Formats: sequence, structure tokens, C-alpha cells
Amino acid sequence: MAVGPAQATLLLGVAILLTALYLQTESFVGPQIRAIALQSLLLGGLLTVLAAEQGSLVLAILAGLTVGIRALLLPYTLTRQAAAFRLPERELRAGRRVRGHALAAVLLAVVGGGLYLEVIGPAFGHPDGVIPFLLLLEGLLLMASRSNALVRVIAYLEEENAVVLLGALMAAGFPILVESVVLLDLFGVVLTAGFLSLHRTATGVPEEGFVEELTG
Amino acid sequence: MIVPGETLWLTLIGLPTASALAGAFVRPGLAERIARAASLVTLVAALLLLVGPSRGSAGGILGWDAMSDLFAVLVAALYALSTWDSARYLGSVRASALSPSTYYALLGGFAAAMLATLAVSDLALMWIGLEATTVVSALLVMYDRRPASVEAAWRYVLIASGGLAVGLFALALLYGEAGSLDAFALAAHPPAWTPALALVVALALVGFGTKVGLFPMHAWLPDAHSEAPAPVSALLSGALLPTALYVFLRIYDLVPPTGALGLRELVVGVGALTALVAAFLTFGQRSYKRLFAYSSMENMGIALVGIGLGGIALYGALLLLVAHAFAKSSAFACSGTALQTTGTSRIDSVRGFGRRSPRTGALWLLSGLAVTGTPPFGSFAAELVILTGALAQGAYGVVAALVVTLGVAFAGVNYPLGRMVLSRAESPELPSEATESWLSTIVPGIALGVALAVGLGSIPYLTGALRIAAGGGFP
Repeated sequence: MAVGPAQATLLLGVAILLTALYLQTESFVGPQIRAIALQSLLLGGLLTVLAAEQGSLVLAILAGLTVGIRALLLPYTLTRQAAAFRLPERELRAGRRVRGHALAAVLLAVVGGGLYLEVIGPAFGHPDGVIPFLLLLEGLLLMASRSNALVRVIAYLEEENAVVLLGALMAAGFPILVESVVLLDLFGVVLTAGFLSLHRTATGVPEEGFVEELTG
Repeated sequence: MIVPGETLWLTLIGLPTASALAGAFVRPGLAERIARAASLVTLVAALLLLVGPSRGSAGGILGWDAMSDLFAVLVAALYALSTWDSARYLGSVRASALSPSTYYALLGGFAAAMLATLAVSDLALMWIGLEATTVVSALLVMYDRRPASVEAAWRYVLIASGGLAVGLFALALLYGEAGSLDAFALAAHPPAWTPALALVVALALVGFGTKVGLFPMHAWLPDAHSEAPAPVSALLSGALLPTALYVFLRIYDLVPPTGALGLRELVVGVGALTALVAAFLTFGQRSYKRLFAYSSMENMGIALVGIGLGGIALYGALLLLVAHAFAKSSAFACSGTALQTTGTSRIDSVRGFGRRSPRTGALWLLSGLAVTGTPPFGSFAAELVILTGALAQGAYGVVAALVVTLGVAFAGVNYPLGRMVLSRAESPELPSEATESWLSTIVPGIALGVALAVGLGSIPYLTGALRIAAGGGFP
């Protein structure tokens, strides 16, 4: 049975969502970096399908940039940072709470999906926006529920993947100039976060740090 | 002679950028001189905007109007004040993560990113500018490399970037709905108001509101403002928060005056709640810089109320942003001097500061009054105008919330400040003899003078610029 562009888009979208759910259940940093790389690769694939379907050069360029920067360069940078800064390879607290995180992620997907399909989607006339919407929610949950420096950067990458996916599905892609600069900006955030991680480790702030001056 | 707006805006972005690039390659002394010169010429270019044409565009990327001009003056002025106050501060930092040259490079980059945000017409480009400010200013926040400042910078990057991702999500939705992200084109020909656009504005409120420090997305603000070097705190509070608010204002332009599905009420409510929560949080603070950070949050909340109400209240909001920026610049400059003198930012550890540093002490006290809406400072007039606007619209609940906010914030800020400056007891941290130099009072003195002149309405062109920026249509 041949798979058409619509089915391919849906399959890739669901696969992206599954990587988001996997990220919530993983407490080791290495597999998380590989998972976000896979998510970005799937996103690149989805953009390629859309580019072929619409005959859009802009989306094709965006697909190339997504694979090059989000799926290859940024995960490579994160892997180097994890090794260079000797960051804990496993989040201890997250490791103890992995089942709770998984449950929260699934609940969020169910509630968020219902909200989008019943309220938000009809307002926009775009039911296919449900996957980027859920991806954004899962990214926010990952950011809020974890304390490891690199995992939070990964959560930010996931949020940005949601924006790219939304732009591609609902808005036929942002203008390419904007997308390109956003990618550069993303790189800047990752490098800055890495630099801060280095100093955070060097100045002795623990993974779940408490700094008296920052209370109140 | 009237310089074309395009030239002025390119100068505004170009000079701080050039200063940033130079700072990366030259020795500290030269970097400081270049930064000072660049900041002054940038300020002159911004002031020329007020007397030149107030609307224009260049090649579809740059775009500006009276509102952009006003915010550019604000950013340029704060950039100049912070740059000129920096050398004194940097001299007192023992250990640093960055060299002074890099500090000036980042300061220039920070100003350039804010000015670029104000200079473009595309909302997505504004987002990029705003995100760039996060990257650059986070490195400035951790300048002195203490665990608290590094942790504050870390939280700032994560929370602000995470919030801005929601803002970008809103922009993607807007692009899908309206087919354009040109703020000026959308304002001139707004798309039909739909529930989808209401969601866009609500998401933008969350996304860009994170960068403004609105409740409950404000967690980064007190950390970053209190841990940054004092000149950077001034820039964060007086220039960055208004710049983020400016981007939201551009999106809020889409909301119709009536029948907005409760959007206006939502914006006013979030503003009032932010102001009220921040005012109460000023009580019990242990650090005076953190105290002023919450005061910034309170002022942004009040400004958002004015923006939400629109009309003459919008005029009040813009006036408040201007007055607050200069008053807060003075407050943080004095805080920096206090930190240098006493070596502590703990309120309980500073007593009798005015006896050893009478001029700075007096300026500090007056700054506290200026940021809490005391006459004759500009914030008083601004808050009065916002209250008048709320009364005219029959928003009595908002008026009550603002009155409580103002009273609580006045006590919450000025009581501990009074104890630190006026107390007869002297803390052991103070030097045995007066060590105050005139240099330390120049920047806060100028900033406070401007805050006062704003209140007295004695700054040429300002009232007219504010009136045009707010859209006119009121007495």
C-alpha cells in the first residue's frame, strides 16, 4: 500500500510526538541528546515531504537547515559540552521520578490534545496544528520538571521544533530569512547555555542548587 | 537640518554594534573610550529622531514610527548612562568571568540588539532581536562570576528563552492567520478579529510577558536584576523590560477597541495582578537590589494596565516607562555605590549610609521616591494619568487595585531605604571616614534630574512625542 503525503506527514508527526514522550521518561543525558537529534531528523523529513508536496523551495531549504543544524550540529555541540563540562550523565532526581514524569506527559498529551481539537483547532480551522501544540506543551513540561542543565537546553530545542513544525503545517513555513536567523539564534542560546553550564559547575552550584541570595 | 530617519536608525544600530566589535579586539582602556563615545553619539542620533519625521521604512526590513522613536530614545539614554557608569563599577570587581573589554563589547551588543528590535517592522525579526538580548545580557549578568550571579544568569536564559518560544509560537499562528508579520501593515489593515487572533494575543502575552517579568512568569527578573552589575541592572530594568513590552504592544495593536472577547480585560487584569503581587513582594526583601527589581516589576504591571486600557491611559503608560527608566537608572547606580562602599547588598547590614555618603544617600532616597510615584517626579504624573483613564472607563476595580499597589509599593521600597540611609546607627561594614567621590554621583544625578524634568513637563519635544506615540485623540 502506497503512503501518500498526508499519511506520511501524519506518521512523521506522530513519531515526533513519540520522541517527545520518550524524552520525558529518560533520565540519562546521552540518550536524550540522541532523542532530540532523532526528533529534529524526523522534523526535517516531514519538512521534506511538505516541500515535495507543495513544490516549495523555501521548505526544502528549511528541511536542509533543520537536518544540518538541529539534527547534527546542535546535538554534536551538546555531546561535546556534556563531555567537556563533566556534567552528571544521569539526573538522579529524574531517575527516581521517571514513572511520574511519564504519567504527567501522557496526561498532558491527552488533555492538551482534547483542548486543541475541541477549542483551539476549530477556531483556527487547522486541526493538524495539534501535534506542534502538544510538542510545545511537552517541551514546557520537560523544562519545568528537570534540573539538569543540558536537559533544559534540550527542552528548549523541543519547543523550537514545535514552532518550526507549526510554521510548516499552518503557515506554509515562516519566511526563510526569519527561519535562518532563528536557527542561528538557537545556536547562540545553546552556546550561551553551555558557557553558563561551565561556570555553574566551576562555581559549585549543584544540580538542584539552592542559593540563599536568590530567595525572596 | 533634518537627518533622514533611515540614516538615524542605521546609526543607532551600527554604532553600538561597532563598539561591540571593537571591544572584542582592543585593550580595556580603549574599549571603554570607544564605548563611551559610541553611546553618546547613539544618544544624539536617538534624540534627533524626536525632531525628525516620525514614520518610515527602508527596504521592508526597517520600519519605525513615533512609538519606535520614543523607545529608541529611552534605550539610547540608558545605554549612555550605563556605559558611563561602568568604569567605576568594573574597577571594584575582583574576580570576573570576562575581561573589561568583553564587558564593553557585550554592553554594545546588548544595546544594539534592543535598538534593532525597535528598528524593524517584522514581528519575527523583533522576536529575534529580543532573543539576542537574552543571549548577550545573560553573559553580563554573570560578570562577577559568583555562584549566585551564574545561577541567576542560567535561570534567566532558560526562563526567558522558554517564554519567548511561546511568543514565537504565537507569531507562527499569527502568520498562518493573517499571512503577514509586518507590524505596521497589520496595524494599518488589521485582519478581522476572530477567536484565533484572541488566542494569538493571549499567547503573546504569556511569551513576551515572560521577558517583561509579568506575574507568574517573572521568576527570572529579581534574580537577574539583583545579581547583574549595577549598570547592567539599570539597562535591564529601564530599557530591556520596555523593549519587550514594545513588542507586545505591536501585537496588541490588533485588538479592536470593543468586542475583543475579553482580551482587554485579560491584559488589564494581568497588569494589575503583576503590580499588586510585586508591590507586596517588596516587603521582607533582604537585598536592596532585589527590592528595586520587584519595584521594576510593579512599574511594568502598572504600565501594562495603561496599555490594556488604551486612550489616555496608554499615554500614561508610555510616560511611566520613560520616568521609571531614568529613576531606576539612578536607583541602581546608587545601589552599585552602596555595594562598593559596604561590600554587602543585605538591607539589614547597611545602616547610616547617608552619614558616610551623604550625596549618594540623598540621591538613593530620592530615587526610591521617584520609582514609587511621588510628586513631582514623572512617575507620579504618569500614574495619575493611568488612574484618570481607568476612572473614565469606569474600571473602579482596577483603580482600587492600583491605589493599593501604589501605597504598598511606596512603603515597601521607601521604608527599608530610609532605614539604610537615615538610620543613626552605623553598620560595621561602612568605612570609618567618608569616601564618597563626586564621580559616583554624576550618573545618578543626571538620571534623577531627567526623571524630575519628565514630571515637570520641561523636556522639549517629549510631551508631543508621547502624544503622537499614544495615538492622540485625548485632551
